[in-house]
Amino acid sequence: MDVVLIGQMAAAAILGAALYTIIGIAPGTDETAVLAPVTLVLVISGLEPILVLTFFIAAIVAKKLTDSIPVAVAGIPGGVMSAPMVEHAMVLKKYGKPDVSIRKMASGSVIGTLISVPLSLLLATALVPLADVIEQYSSQIFFFGAIFLALMTKNRWFAVLSIVPFAFVIQGLRNLYWGLDIVPEDTTVFTSFFLGITIGPVILKLFELLNGRIRRNLSRYGTKTIEMRRTKAEKGFPNPFKILDKNETISSVVSSIFGVLTFFMSPVGMTIFLGEMVASRIKDPVKRAARAISSMDGLTNAAYLSGTLVPLIAIGYPLSPTALGPGHALFNAPPVYTYEHNLHHILSMNDFVMATVIGAVIAIGLTFFITIKYAQPICAFVFKYIPHEAMLGLFFGLVMMLAYMDAGFLNIAGVLVIGLVAGFLHRRGVNYGVQFMTLYAAPWLVGLIF
Amino acid sequence: MSAEDKKENVEVWEDLVRIKDLVISLAICSVTSLGGYLIAPESQQPLIYGLIGAVLGFIISTIVIKPKRNFSYTDEE
Repeated sequence: MDVVLIGQMAAAAILGAALYTIIGIAPGTDETAVLAPVTLVLVISGLEPILVLTFFIAAIVAKKLTDSIPVAVAGIPGGVMSAPMVEHAMVLKKYGKPDVSIRKMASGSVIGTLISVPLSLLLATALVPLADVIEQYSSQIFFFGAIFLALMTKNRWFAVLSIVPFAFVIQGLRNLYWGLDIVPEDTTVFTSFFLGITIGPVILKLFELLNGRIRRNLSRYGTKTIEMRRTKAEKGFPNPFKILDKNETISSVVSSIFGVLTFFMSPVGMTIFLGEMVASRIKDPVKRAARAISSMDGLTNAAYLSGTLVPLIAIGYPLSPTALGPGHALFNAPPVYTYEHNLHHILSMNDFVMATVIGAVIAIGLTFFITIKYAQPICAFVFKYIPHEAMLGLFFGLVMMLAYMDAGFLNIAGVLVIGLVAGFLHRRGVNYGVQFMTLYAAPWLVGLIF
Repeated sequence: MSAEDKKENVEVWEDLVRIKDLVISLAICSVTSLGGYLIAPESQQPLIYGLIGAVLGFIISTIVIKPKRNFSYTDEE
């Protein structure tokens, strides 16, 4: 591997880390919505495969490090993945310790990354012989994953029963598009449905605003007051192992290993599940919250990296929610990549290791440092100048555009339907994990019944 | 401050918005994103134009609309 290429990889990693450090802080930025389009553009623009991967790895590591900042400071999730942590972060905020939250979460993230890079590479190597079998049964894996996650939710029977009807809605729309010749028969509309589920709760809320009776009954607020206690800047380079105590380090490590091994499951679902498990036995609220958020952040980071790397290296098909969502362009981005010709086929094991290590190390070095040192001023900037309306508008605009791109104007209506149904289910306690897995399993499930 | 304390904001997705501003922002961003995608010249990547449109819409909304947050530092300790 020559020096010029390594230099380019470092540049790609710095660019990815810097860009997603900023994006991560913006409240409500969904991982798929912000990562998938940019990666897609880079792939289609013809950037070298190894550079695309380096960029992507740096981007997820940075995004996962910084999206904990708005959670800690204002209880606003910086992304779908950090939503489960809000409850615990609010406890720390109530005790006046938002800066502790940020440090614990960021340190958990670093541990997640350190664990998952080598472990994912090992797991991928081990899975290569099984790749054919896994590929063959991927739909079944997703279906049982959906049932498993549904059983983990509070409203479990509602969640279980929602799986089949929701799959019908999804397949029904796809069949309609095929029937009307809007999309060719061999194309499955995916990205825009995925985004429809992601912003489902918001779509439902927006529709409700159109209803005068509901609108008048909504609680009204003045402006939101956010106060931050000014903290002293850290000196020297922060050390994640000093920030976390022994128990927190151990549970972060264990959760991260768990996150790697369950790469094919929805990371949001696993985070909720594991966070509750880890935290439920601790009595002291501050300790419980600190333990929960550090472990959860470790898990999300590990699950995201392994969810990208394992399917990419071992299988070449996007067999995890991460690979299907944010990382989808690495597998399938016609005309540049197809399922028969993508990073899995182009890059050697050596390339994968280099890209991952360079991407992850640069992102941790840059972003962890910035997160710990400058969390406050960055947050202050976002809270002062970026209106929430603009954030929602950006999302909505992106979803509209991607809906049009997938299947024309009719699909805008289709995505709204998906959004309304998903938003309703979400409000009744069917979490994203169950819904995403249903989306992946839908073709097989409906094919099974008919 | 007093004029803004009229309670007219609602909560959408964990933060406060004013319905009128939200409608403006949704309209601006939808038009710029979809518009960018649609006006992209043939043989070019329409996605890039769409993304530029989305970012443009975001910037315009940020300028036009004021955040509904009162932000301050407290200096104790």
